[in-house]
Amino acid sequence: MKAVCWMGTSDVQTMTVDDPKILNPHDAILKITRTAICGSDLHLYDGFIPTMESGDILGHEFMGLVEEVGKDVTNLRRGDRVVVPFTIACGNCIFCKKKIWSACDNTNPNAHLMEAAYGYSGSGLFGYSHMMGGYAGGQAQYVRVPFANVGPLKIESDLPDEKVLFLSDIFPTGYMAAENAQIEEGDTVAVWGCGPVGIFAIASAFMLGAARVIAIDRLPERLEMARNFGAITVDYSEEDVDVLTAIKDLTGGMGPDSCIDAVGLEAHSTELQGFYDKVKTAVMLETDRPSVLRQAIQAVRKGGTLSIPGVYGGLLDKVPFGAAFGKGITMKMGQTNMHNYMKPLLERVEKGQIDPSSIISHRITLDEVPEMYKVWRDKRDNVTKIVIDPWAERAA
Amino acid sequence: MDRALSEKPTAEKVPQSGAAGVVLNGHYLPPPADKDGKQWVRTSALILKPVSDLYELWRDVEKASLWQEQIVEVRATGPKTSHWVMLTGDDPDKSIEWDSEVLNDEPGKRIAWNSIGGDSDNAGEVIFETAPGGRGTVVTVLQEFHMSKLASAWETLTGRNPKQAIIENLRHFKALAETGEIPRTQGQPHGPRGTSGKTKKSLYGETIATPPGGQRIAS
Ligand SMILES: NC(=O)c1ccc[n+]([C@@H]2O[C@H](COP(=O)([O-])OP(=O)(O)OC[C@H]3O[C@@H](n4cnc5c(N)ncnc54)[C@H](O)[C@@H]3O)[C@@H](O)[C@H]2O)c1
Ligand SMILES: [Zn+2]
Ligand SMILES: [Zn+2]
Repeated sequence: MKAVCWMGTSDVQTMTVDDPKILNPHDAILKITRTAICGSDLHLYDGFIPTMESGDILGHEFMGLVEEVGKDVTNLRRGDRVVVPFTIACGNCIFCKKKIWSACDNTNPNAHLMEAAYGYSGSGLFGYSHMMGGYAGGQAQYVRVPFANVGPLKIESDLPDEKVLFLSDIFPTGYMAAENAQIEEGDTVAVWGCGPVGIFAIASAFMLGAARVIAIDRLPERLEMARNFGAITVDYSEEDVDVLTAIKDLTGGMGPDSCIDAVGLEAHSTELQGFYDKVKTAVMLETDRPSVLRQAIQAVRKGGTLSIPGVYGGLLDKVPFGAAFGKGITMKMGQTNMHNYMKPLLERVEKGQIDPSSIISHRITLDEVPEMYKVWRDKRDNVTKIVIDPWAERAA
Repeated sequence: MDRALSEKPTAEKVPQSGAAGVVLNGHYLPPPADKDGKQWVRTSALILKPVSDLYELWRDVEKASLWQEQIVEVRATGPKTSHWVMLTGDDPDKSIEWDSEVLNDEPGKRIAWNSIGGDSDNAGEVIFETAPGGRGTVVTVLQEFHMSKLASAWETLTGRNPKQAIIENLRHFKALAETGEIPRTQGQPHGPRGTSGKTKKSLYGETIATPPGGQRIAS
């Protein structure tokens, strides 16, 4: 089959590799019908997440048709159409029972690597480094899905793939971000980053009762998207705009009830601190660039909540913990507990309450993926979300 | 020692001694220190299965090859004795063998064993206890071994330090007990690994074969 392989930092290639096969009793093999590139993939592309090996198949946002199931998979049959959550969960351990699915104990074959780095290991993820399991991902024509009895969501309606594909990650991720923000009716919420995760966080904040959402980014096409979803936008790159002042101005000086960092460890910064973080990460004294995190801690109101769906991987420098303590804020974060949200969000899509496909800007073939990683990284060509048809041939 | 606070409606009685020497007189004790060529490892896991099921799975020595790394065969040679064969690398012809005897068998509670000759010098115990709050079973393993052929085979040929191997084996045991399988990636497709990819694989312990787990159980 064809698959997108990580061959080193800033080097992905579409290659021909073996087809996946069933390896465990709860496995299924999917023929992938649609897959996508995520902001999280950039952290791999840019070399921020350790324990990648050359030859790793990327991709964790995919859906498809069940091709084959292992002997203990009883809920799926050949031909079923499913969306697969990017976190792999067993359904039986204490964390799965508590519905903290992304903390599953039994799905990471390399748990010892994550234990060494984080104290305990989280669940395995598709196509997201060996520390997170080393599972082959879904920017490919076929994929092996472990614990297929637990994760995949069957799509029984005739909704097109594009409307349900994002149930595999970014829609639930945006929704959990809003849930983690502990929004009460009438709240004001500020969201950093108007990428797919930020956009779904904006939409979800409104669904959960926000009266006003302030969205921060610098890319005009993304700010426009945020306005389409109902937010007031702030362009942090505009001359004379100071984000903290803007947020105060828009909240009567009080600050937002909740802040959501939907940017993560590769935040872009125009200020001196951005340069400081670049130097520090270059010499490995710091692994992440937390300029949005710093700003959000500063911006949130006293006793407010900071929700962090943006990914952080390692060590952060100069995080204003005193401000967090001084204001008595709550912080909630983590990989999305996908399995809690897929079904209820599918219902919202089925009812026509939201059209997730509205964020798609590019539809491409597998052969175009390597060049599109560059476009996605550099945010060129008004890119907002890239969806791949793994069976389409490149137009000549 | 219990008297400073009288209101603790859900507190459980503090154990005076605990599994594998974790607690003594209500106080935590670290695992025994390595000394004179003898190494110790203590590890525990919370497993959502009844004590009795876990005891039985562990006591069924012939099933150990399903969940212990590099163990290709275990044969019961008597009610308390067994013969163990362990691979020492990729070559199926290269193995070490030893016999083992159960010294103490308290059904539903504890199993203690000792090697009795062959290529390995090890002893250990496993304790099954109901977790605090009744939330599953805590399984604690305490194992000691001399750096014998067994320990060095683990280390040099699998790239796994023998202490880590015991920790991994308990992890596999838990996964098998809770889910009926052991998570694996060996055998999945990938692009060319190149030299750096190959080095990383062994560095990350991925060259050690994942035990079969549920692959074999029902087939
Ligand atoms: N928690 C999870 O389970 C989970 C799941 C998916 C994605 N994520 C993470 O969410 C984050 C966003 O993902 P995405 O797909 O939307 O990525 P993306 O790269 O498309 O979007 C990031 C956006 O942040 C903006 N940005 C950069 N610096 C900024 C700054 N200083 N202030 C305001 N905006 C800034 C960029 O312009 C861009 O629009 C990533 O870190 C990704 O890894 C987390
Ligand atoms: Zn993603
Ligand atoms: Zn689990």
